Amino acid sequence: MSRKPYQPPMPASWWLKHPAYRFYMLREATVVPLLFFVASLLYGLYALGQGEASWLHYLAWLQQPWVIALNSLALVASLFHAWTFFALFPQVMPLRFGSRTLPAWLMVSAQWAGVLLVILALWWLLGGVDAHQ
Amino acid sequence: MPTLEMRLQRYRPEQDSAPHWQDFRVEYDDSTSVLDALEQIKAEQDSSLSYRWSCRMAICGSCGIMVNGVPKLGCKTFLRDYPKGLQLAPLGNFPVEKDLIVDMSRFLEHLTAIKPYLIAEAAPQGQPHRQTPAQLARYKQFSNCINCGLCYAACPQFGLKPDFLGPAAIALAHRYNLDSRDSGKAERMAQLNSDNGVWGCTFVGYCSTVCPKGVDPAAAVNQGKIASTLDGVIQWFKPAKEPRNKEQSK
Ligand code: SF4
Ligand code: FES
Repeated sequence: MSRKPYQPPMPASWWLKHPAYRFYMLREATVVPLLFFVASLLYGLYALGQGEASWLHYLAWLQQPWVIALNSLALVASLFHAWTFFALFPQVMPLRFGSRTLPAWLMVSAQWAGVLLVILALWWLLGGVDAHQ
Repeated sequence: MPTLEMRLQRYRPEQDSAPHWQDFRVEYDDSTSVLDALEQIKAEQDSSLSYRWSCRMAICGSCGIMVNGVPKLGCKTFLRDYPKGLQLAPLGNFPVEKDLIVDMSRFLEHLTAIKPYLIAEAAPQGQPHRQTPAQLARYKQFSNCINCGLCYAACPQFGLKPDFLGPAAIALAHRYNLDSRDSGKAERMAQLNSDNGVWGCTFVGYCSTVCPKGVDPAAAVNQGKIASTLDGVIQWFKPAKEPRNKEQSK
């Protein structure tokens, strides 16, 4: 008797089928608002090169509500992405000491502590700029 | 005894061009597994129903099945956890042979390709291959795989591109690469370095969620990306004697 295997289709909507897939797609989609953020940064650099009028125009552009909204979305998206990235890190690079592995929660906390340190350092640096003016 | 509604996907290759659903009602108690329920249906309601099983204790890996769309072992899944009833379909991402039976040969081909066995110099005469507990701990988790294929049913990359080696095969390659007794890493890296190897993975991570043995194949695959990168760097600096690159492995 001959075989007739049925190959189930893989519809384009496969990622709607399970929360795990939707979460994955959300993680990957965080790149979209980040693209906008990068574009506005580049626009700022360009404006800086064009002289004062152009720079002031850029600053005004930045303050429009829709630009603020999109950039805030980019901030939330990158924080969300960082959260997923930090959570996956212990799986990718487990730290072993002999036959024991560093607990995942410790590695995740250490990464967030790193973020906090960078924020504090930036805050201190920028605060330093203010003090000189 | 209470009863439960079960909806089964049927496919009879001689008659059907596509699968269809069929409803059954089964008796169950706290200890009734999905596999028990299937046996009940086959014995009392429809002897033509086909499904796979062997050990009934989550060891042989033959009873993989989709329960309400989630890859599960039939013998390790209990009706008591599905008071609203359940839908059974064959394991996702594989061709369906009949009813709940899939053709797993793709997975087995990938498994064979990565040489999932010790490639080692023979131990000195009459001596065992010694290994310290720390050396064992490096790969032990990845050696718990029972080849059930649930991770393949969970992996959209395998669904989209069946040539992708997939979670369990890569986890086993990683397991042997990490084994202190093994010296076959060089033979496995060509497979792992290719686009169908570790780089075919986008870290969806669902394979690790569904694995009934806590193997965490997603961890193995993504540790494999680091190993693959290091291997690439090493190849770069080595004098070109035996080129072993991406192209060759395709
Ligand atoms: S890694 Fe887990 S889910 Fe995949 S085949 Fe092995 S035991 Fe099954
Ligand atoms: S019957 Fe062997 S794993 Fe379920």
